[in-house]
Amino acid sequence: MVLSKKEILRRMQLAVSDDSNLVITPLIYANENDIFDSDSVDLRLGCHFLLPKTLDQPFFSPDRSSATSLHVRVHVPLGQFLVVPAHQTILGATLEFIRLPSDVSGQILTKSSVARTFIVVETAPWIHPQYRGCLTLEIANVSNTPVLLYPGRLICQLILMRIAPMQPDSNNPDSQSNGDSTTTKPDKNYFGPVYPEAPKFEDPQDDLLRIGVTGVSGFKRIKRYPTKKGWRESKPEP
Amino acid sequence: MPDGLRDLLHDAAVLHSFVDFIGEYCKEQERSQTYIDASGLFFKYVEELTAGIKLELRNEVDRAARFPNRLPVLRRNMLTLKYYLRLLHTLIKPAADAHTLTIPGPLIDLAGKQLRGVKGMSSSKIVILLTPEFMYFQRPHTHVKEQARLVETFVPQATFPPKLGFIELPYSQGPSFFTNLAVYHEIGHFVYEELSSLNPPYPDFVALRSATTGSLSRIFRDRQVLALAVKIVQNWTQEIFCDLFAIRLLGPAFSFALVEILSMLGFLSSKLSVKFNPTHPASACRFAEHVNMLTADSWMEAIKDIKSEQKKLLEAFAMIPRSRYNFYLDDTTRGPQALVNAFLDSVIPAIRKLVHELTPESNFAVRRFGRVRHDIEECLKVGVVPIMQHSNSPDPVSLINSAFCFYLTSLPEVITNFEGPGADRDVDIYSKWTRRLEMWTMKAIEDSQIQDRYRRLKRTVSWSFQKKKS
Repeated sequence: MVLSKKEILRRMQLAVSDDSNLVITPLIYANENDIFDSDSVDLRLGCHFLLPKTLDQPFFSPDRSSATSLHVRVHVPLGQFLVVPAHQTILGATLEFIRLPSDVSGQILTKSSVARTFIVVETAPWIHPQYRGCLTLEIANVSNTPVLLYPGRLICQLILMRIAPMQPDSNNPDSQSNGDSTTTKPDKNYFGPVYPEAPKFEDPQDDLLRIGVTGVSGFKRIKRYPTKKGWRESKPEP
Repeated sequence: MPDGLRDLLHDAAVLHSFVDFIGEYCKEQERSQTYIDASGLFFKYVEELTAGIKLELRNEVDRAARFPNRLPVLRRNMLTLKYYLRLLHTLIKPAADAHTLTIPGPLIDLAGKQLRGVKGMSSSKIVILLTPEFMYFQRPHTHVKEQARLVETFVPQATFPPKLGFIELPYSQGPSFFTNLAVYHEIGHFVYEELSSLNPPYPDFVALRSATTGSLSRIFRDRQVLALAVKIVQNWTQEIFCDLFAIRLLGPAFSFALVEILSMLGFLSSKLSVKFNPTHPASACRFAEHVNMLTADSWMEAIKDIKSEQKKLLEAFAMIPRSRYNFYLDDTTRGPQALVNAFLDSVIPAIRKLVHELTPESNFAVRRFGRVRHDIEECLKVGVVPIMQHSNSPDPVSLINSAFCFYLTSLPEVITNFEGPGADRDVDIYSKWTRRLEMWTMKAIEDSQIQDRYRRLKRTVSWSFQKKKS
């Protein structure tokens, strides 16, 4: 069941210690209708971004080092803008820090007016119960024109849904019951970020070993070193 | 070509390349990074100055070709320029390093705003520099400004921004929050330097100076010794002034931050803590003054339930009897104890009076802290940025103090709650959560600044709307 504006506002009034409490902060509006719809709340674009970096490898491998190798952090203060070139992607975050109740899931959708400029804001839009943090937004400009993004402007909408009640899971020690729903503890990897977060991966060998796959083929990172005539690849290790 | 002109031309060309690089460097930095307002203002000044210097260099060489008797004047001007550029050179790179990703921007904005609320400092701005030294430092700016004024006489295109201060942060502490609260002490140095050199002088600074010279001239008859004693006591005076100034603006969070920093620097050993040296008073003396001020402002009452090591340490240092204070001129040579006594008896009361005179009353801040602390701690306990809603948003000073109190007392509880039993004993995890807490506090301050800006705008809009209507 999608939460109505009234229910969203009711949950926001509850004490933060209450499991049903919803946090969205800061909420900046002159008029409630500026950001609330009957079934959603609009969120603003934050001031920090991760822009893709030119890699020193001919490809990107999602492994342990990806958090630092893929992006460069940029701060764009309110009042300035960021240009997203055509067919480029960046990571941004919402200005608002949110905390979902234990019985509510959320979904992030591009605001329709923004979508019509061919800016796509989310490709992994689902938010689990108890998530807290500024939401990382995968922003893609799929148009043929560079587009300006202004931090502080409304960019996406948050839709909240109550999850169906379940019985506590006796096999999962991390599970907690809050009366009519069962929740797991929030993801420790992405807990409470206030800036866009780079992805966190295990190495593929470790990941696949968990399902019994061994001998995963790896690749050798190309190490480059300067020479008098320019950059050269290092000799492969024996 | 007249004698000496070729040399002048050569010198001018070298200087031209030098300033050209500096100007381009500032432009490039501004293009690639975001800076706080004060740094932007400083870079703009440097860009205007370098453009002005290049223009003047061309004109000077022309003038020298036409009027060879002006050569000595032009040479003198070039020397002044070179000296001034050497001074600026040391400021530009550290300022360029201090962009908004490497410094705690919201904290610096807040400190700047509070600074402008101090009597006589209404248009002041602070440029942050990142330094390789592990210390916080206010770069004395009076000399830079004097040189800038001298340069303005023959490069009129650029005027040094009035009331611009320079404060260094250690680069390793750049993005952290709690230790950087020490920046308030350095802002105190900036205020002291600005206001103590006013003409006509500020009455309370005159009183402070009289207290210093009056008390010392009774002890030291020899003029040279007296001058040295006055210099040393002035150093101590500034340090105590800056501590009390920071406490008035920030409350106990500053004292806690100072304990952390001095402890990191290894200055809190029992032997060192009672030792005055020619530049700094003993830590025990400083903390005794902290506790006095915090008690007088009712902060101690407001945080009486805090049971942290830092608070105990603060109180323990404050309890050390003054008879144990000693003064060393260097590592081995003991200085006259009478100097310490004169400082404690005659100068410190004048410092307290001066700080009270300059800074806003703190009663409101303490009351606000008492009102919102519980709510802020409740948010942090569940891993949420303290909430900023339309009404009843916590103010930044309450936020900082509540978050610091929380950091000192409740962090292990939160770690255990989210990471499981025993996790609070893992250094990696503890450090990660400290960082999170700092980020949440900084985010809340940023949010409160956004709300504040919005409220001000709303007031202006509604005021102009009413005016239009009437």
